[in-house]
Amino acid sequence: MFTTLVRTGQKAILRIEDICNKVMGSEQNILYYHGAMPNFFLWVLFLSGLLLFAYYMPTLEGAYQSVEYITQKIPYGDMIRGVHRFAADGMMLAVWLHALRVYFTDRYREYRLIAWYSGVALTFMMMLIGITGYVLVWDERSFIIVQELEKLLAAVPVIGAGLAHAFINDNTISNYTMSMSFFIHTGTSFALLVVLWIHYMRISRPVVNVTWAIGCLLFGIVLILAGLTPATSGPEAVFTVEPKYFEMDWFYLWLFPVMKILGYELTWLVLLAGATFVVLLPNFVKSKDHEPALVNSNKCVGCKLCSIDCPYEAIYMAPRTDNSRFKEIAVVISDRCAECGLCVGACNFDAIELPFNTSPVVMDDIRIAMGVN
Amino acid sequence: MTKSKDQVKVMVIACERSVNLDKELSGAHGRDLNGVSNAYVVRVPCSGMIQPRMIESAFNSGADGVIAMGCQIGDCHFREGNKFCRERLLGLRPPVIKKSVPKNRLKGFWMSEVQVKEFKQRVEDFKTEVAEELSKEAAKA
Repeated sequence: MFTTLVRTGQKAILRIEDICNKVMGSEQNILYYHGAMPNFFLWVLFLSGLLLFAYYMPTLEGAYQSVEYITQKIPYGDMIRGVHRFAADGMMLAVWLHALRVYFTDRYREYRLIAWYSGVALTFMMMLIGITGYVLVWDERSFIIVQELEKLLAAVPVIGAGLAHAFINDNTISNYTMSMSFFIHTGTSFALLVVLWIHYMRISRPVVNVTWAIGCLLFGIVLILAGLTPATSGPEAVFTVEPKYFEMDWFYLWLFPVMKILGYELTWLVLLAGATFVVLLPNFVKSKDHEPALVNSNKCVGCKLCSIDCPYEAIYMAPRTDNSRFKEIAVVISDRCAECGLCVGACNFDAIELPFNTSPVVMDDIRIAMGVN
Repeated sequence: MTKSKDQVKVMVIACERSVNLDKELSGAHGRDLNGVSNAYVVRVPCSGMIQPRMIESAFNSGADGVIAMGCQIGDCHFREGNKFCRERLLGLRPPVIKKSVPKNRLKGFWMSEVQVKEFKQRVEDFKTEVAEELSKEAAKA
């Protein structure tokens, strides 16, 4: 049943993409850029964040006022704030689209494990960035988030009190709490780039940029959203007033209603179980026997074509040591090989073959199919 | 040599992840396409595996037309296989296809798993094209 579900999902995706191909053409098919879209939003976030950064004050007294100043006094400040907010939602949405696409089309396991694991890490990092971002506004919602996060962290066994203290950055909420949130918000954003580098590992020529047309479309949507539904603050947080305002952002703040229902300990358990489940997903499918491509050293002429074409960086060229008249030989890194045969297609000398389906066998198949023996 | 559409023999070298032909093949060797006469299918893990020599070999074994088929451009399970295959068919990527191969009777299909019906229709259409092409070639000779 599980397999049927995944297969149905894949077929649905292929059908939708086919329709998109007919409408937009495959070059501009937005669904083929599911991996590049989060990246596009990331750059929009970095740039709009940089502009906000110039005027923001991470202090209890200054934060709310500085955000109001940005929104009301800086030319287009409200738009920049809106873009920052909606691009963040767009990024999370694109990430989920990306994750579902690679899951249902079976592109997340075996030779793609690194990308899957780092992708899970990236999503959690984005959650952290998003949540701390909402602290920076310092309205009543920020106040609730800080209080709830403190309790959530304190609920961790053994190190909980330490974690909560580290997050509050003092014994009570103070200016240091603000600088800590600001640090987590921006610091994790830069750490995101490092994990992204891991995410792209073993992928030759990753598609990291959307086309101009798609970029304009996505930015346009963000601009329209920012213009139509401006990002606003609730009432300023005051310690003496019980905070009530909590406008929901389901992309980042869903954790808080969950906390309210389940309590802090159970929330941790659910988070942990969810993360473990996602990380273990690749293990639920039985992989077929691994039969990586093999190089025939007698035939390899060192032309590099297979190492260039390999989509998973599984082939490199090594100097020859066997007194051959050729200088280099292709070497397959077995663990990275996806058994796709792209190297076979690139080789004009039958020097690299998939052991379970060699090119002479394919040629024989062709002759047999045509009725020639 | 001229041939009628029905006499034209077509070889399809197909990616096993593109059009789902699991239930569409029969015949003595399990390589005849159901519902289309004289159409034979050999499947490879990815269209990127198709060597120019495989295409030559198909023509040499008596095929009048050859189709190299991969998934829709933009969607390849192995990321770039169909793009590479298309570039080879167009002569833009080494190894290149020999000049002796009749390029007018060689075609790339880029279709997804779910397009079985459309695929068969396009094979039929291709056979008509090949028959026309053969008569043109005969006229020239």
